[in-house]
Amino acid sequence: MKSLLNILISAPVLLFTMACNASMKNSKSVSVKISGNCEMCEQTIETAANVKDEVSLDWNKDNKIAIVSYDSTKTNTNEILKRVALAGYDNEKFLAPDDAYQKLAACCKYERSTKKATQEPGDAQTNNIETKQDSVKQTVEVNQLILVSNYYFDLKNALIKANTASAAEKAKDLSQALSSVKMEKLQDAQHIVWMKVYKSLIAASESITKSKNVEAQRAQFITLSENMYGLMKVAQLETPVYYQNCPMYNDGKGANWLSLENNVKNPYYGSQMLTCGKTIETIK
Amino acid sequence: MLKITIVSTLLFLSNVTLAQKKVRYDLFVRDTIVNYAGKEKHAYAVNGQIPMPELHFNEGDTAEIYVHNELNTETSIHWHGLILPNEQDGVPYLTTAPIKAHSTHLYYFPIVQNGTYWYHSHTKLQEQIGMYGAFIIHKREEQKIAEYTMILSDWTNMKPFEVHRRLHSANDWSAIKKAETQKGAVQSYSDAIADGSLNIKLKNEWKRMLAMDVSDVYYDKFLTNGKEEDAAPQFKAGDKVRLRIINGSSSTYFWLKYAGGKIEVVASDGIDVEPVVVDRMIIAVAEIYDVIVTIPSDSASFEFLATSEDRIKSTSLWLGSGIKQLASPLKPLKYFEGMSMMNDMIKMDGNLDDMGMNMSLQQMDMNVVMYPEITGAKEDIKNNSSNADNRYNSNALSDIVTLNYSMLKSPVKTTLPNAPTQVLNFELTGNMNRYVWSINNKTVSETDKILIKKGENIRIILYNNSMMRHPMHLHGHFFRVVNGQGDYSPLKNVLDIMPMETDTIEFAATESGDWFFHCHILYHMMSGMGRIFSYENSPPNTQLPDAKKALQKLYKDDREFHFMFQNDFATNGNDGELMFMNTRWNFQAEWRLGYHDMHGYEVETHFGRYIGKMQWLFPYVGIDYRYRKMDMNEVEKNIFNQTNTKDKRQTICIGIQYTLPMLIVADARLDSDGEFRLQFMREDIPLSKRFRMNLMYNSDYEYMASLKYILTNKFSLSTHYDSDMGFGGGFTFSY
Repeated sequence: MKSLLNILISAPVLLFTMACNASMKNSKSVSVKISGNCEMCEQTIETAANVKDEVSLDWNKDNKIAIVSYDSTKTNTNEILKRVALAGYDNEKFLAPDDAYQKLAACCKYERSTKKATQEPGDAQTNNIETKQDSVKQTVEVNQLILVSNYYFDLKNALIKANTASAAEKAKDLSQALSSVKMEKLQDAQHIVWMKVYKSLIAASESITKSKNVEAQRAQFITLSENMYGLMKVAQLETPVYYQNCPMYNDGKGANWLSLENNVKNPYYGSQMLTCGKTIETIK
Repeated sequence: MLKITIVSTLLFLSNVTLAQKKVRYDLFVRDTIVNYAGKEKHAYAVNGQIPMPELHFNEGDTAEIYVHNELNTETSIHWHGLILPNEQDGVPYLTTAPIKAHSTHLYYFPIVQNGTYWYHSHTKLQEQIGMYGAFIIHKREEQKIAEYTMILSDWTNMKPFEVHRRLHSANDWSAIKKAETQKGAVQSYSDAIADGSLNIKLKNEWKRMLAMDVSDVYYDKFLTNGKEEDAAPQFKAGDKVRLRIINGSSSTYFWLKYAGGKIEVVASDGIDVEPVVVDRMIIAVAEIYDVIVTIPSDSASFEFLATSEDRIKSTSLWLGSGIKQLASPLKPLKYFEGMSMMNDMIKMDGNLDDMGMNMSLQQMDMNVVMYPEITGAKEDIKNNSSNADNRYNSNALSDIVTLNYSMLKSPVKTTLPNAPTQVLNFELTGNMNRYVWSINNKTVSETDKILIKKGENIRIILYNNSMMRHPMHLHGHFFRVVNGQGDYSPLKNVLDIMPMETDTIEFAATESGDWFFHCHILYHMMSGMGRIFSYENSPPNTQLPDAKKALQKLYKDDREFHFMFQNDFATNGNDGELMFMNTRWNFQAEWRLGYHDMHGYEVETHFGRYIGKMQWLFPYVGIDYRYRKMDMNEVEKNIFNQTNTKDKRQTICIGIQYTLPMLIVADARLDSDGEFRLQFMREDIPLSKRFRMNLMYNSDYEYMASLKYILTNKFSLSTHYDSDMGFGGGFTFSY
């Protein structure tokens, strides 16, 4: 009796599936794993994959499995999954480009497990730098000054774009990074410079965080940059850092900053005079 | 004593032969059938493969290369970027004997340099369908580093001859094909309306421009090492891989980017440069870059993506093994932004105006207005407040670092010897509508060779006054690109020059013989965009006993006539035209053949020459024959009150055509019966992707309007109304 009931229930379901497939010729079905979080993900994934009379994809947000039916004479799973990855979703064949993932809505930013295993390309570079440092210090330790400098460069980029809110946020990150530097782990030369500059570095970055307009932030950035310059000279970074000068800022007294690129992008004027200035020293 | 001398001489000689290793290659050129894009097509394979085999040498070797031509046509091989004796350069009829069908030719030359180079056929359009390959010369003591060669190319299912012919007849089928992947590529009126940019399109036509094209040809596929996707899984995490990237395509520029991080450029056109790190770069046709990329991890393979400049399609190389990490693709071009930019830059006389921006060295890229990743999506543009100087500076506008020539620096001094300098001014000129390409408005065959003296320096100031970029290539020499790096200016042999740019290059004249300087876009070269540098007092070239006659063979390339034919088979008659034209001359015939006497029969032929750089003026002579039976007592008069002779006319006429703004062709003519006629005509108005309209009116009160729907590259549905023949419908065949 029970089995009869089963048949009765499954028959319409079966019919329905067949009807679905009937609209597509040479249909082939497979199940694939696609990362994602929520209903919004489901919609994005399916829109990216589906093509009328060619591909129909149904993704389940609970088990992350998608059932893909497609016309095997017209397309293949590679093409379909590539479209899904380009929409921002890692899957068994392709990893999404980083910028596509970044563009996803906050609720859709799924844990990139596959991606984690492969490391961010950025991480790999930092790791290389670490190993270089290790050979000198004989301990597995991150170069703390690199972290500090990264936050400084983020702050500088925010100032180039004259983005007050973002600059405040980056300055906050910077002051936190500065406060958490373990000075006993610095090399001797670094330690000496550190003792001279760290107080004013923290003070400057905190006041940038508090400033309400970009002009006030830029004024503080002068002191910050001068002290950072001293620190970078002993930081032993793998990549060159460019010390640059804008002769006009600060009522013609001029102001300096540090950059990872040789081309000038002026954080004191931003788009008003983006390329004003020149490199005065290359720190290697 | 004598014995010792002999022995030591022998010893010495054998030492010399040891040091100069002879490296022999045998290349067998054969016809083959390939299927790259769904259809079996004819191509050329060398030793059974496309691209041609990768040749390896060490600096100091002697190359001994036998080319066995097993084709039924002649061929040639040019060694691109190599410094070698003139007769080994491989330009048939200019430096080297052509390799006749079923014969073998020996190339023999010392290898005096190192780096990445390539080789290709320099005969007709053979390079398009398979005759390109990598030529790698290793340094004597080379630092061992993982390396991989990436030779890029473009493939079309259309025969190269057809591609070339269609380019000359302003056929827009290639834009229609592009529109399948990228909406708006035809830049029709309806595309413009949908974009809210009809005013821009109309202004564009007012300035007598056809739809703007970033590239001329529609390609079915782009290839890496002869494959749509190539993979190099052998590389491991942390490996630094030297990619030797050669653009062996016939007319495609590629954007390069890497999913695994930044790209470090270490050599350009075979010669080392100071390493420079970028996010992306463009590689011009025939250009070469050596770059170093790092493999970030073992669990994924990373995409090295090459996208055609028009962004229609791409090809990839996967580095490393595992799940595929994609690079983000380039978003479609904002065509109407580009058009609007062209409207600002083009003067009413057709010349370009850089508005005082002193553009050079790829730094100011006008095309950035079309790149969403640099200038934002269309809707954000209005908020962009950057100042005028940076408006086109890609690196200033965004965080993405794009390579340009000002960033290239030689690690060693490249200053020229102290010698007298000959300065040449080359203005790159072109006519998109008729696909005429030239330098100073003269093709190769229309000018004499440029005489240079051994020992002097040659400085060329190039100005690109055409609407397309051109990769200019010099044979047998490296030139310095004067790019602000002073004594350390980089050496190159291909220079990409964008519209409106002025670039200066210079080289020391150290060789002898004749050397070609030309645009490396195959179809531009074949249209005559080039010059020949000829050393004074060079010894005669043994490979070309009759140099004068040989040169005429070379000139034939750009003197070639192209044939175009179109006929509308309609219910009310046949309506058609044919053209037989080259750079300057055009023979046109038009006919309207009714099915009975009342509709009449008429044929008009013109033979004339295009005048001026823009080729808007076309004086001609012609014959007009027509017959039409009229009703009794019917007399037709024209606007000028002259009696018409449409019923029976056999006259000779002279006239002049002039292209007006909006691309309207005005045609004024006077025939041997003394009758004057003025006619206005606009052909191929792009109403939508596939709809085209023609309009005509003349002072004989004749008028015509027709509408065409393009089905394939040969057939269209058409309907027209003609004042003589009335309304009709049918189909049009175009060749």
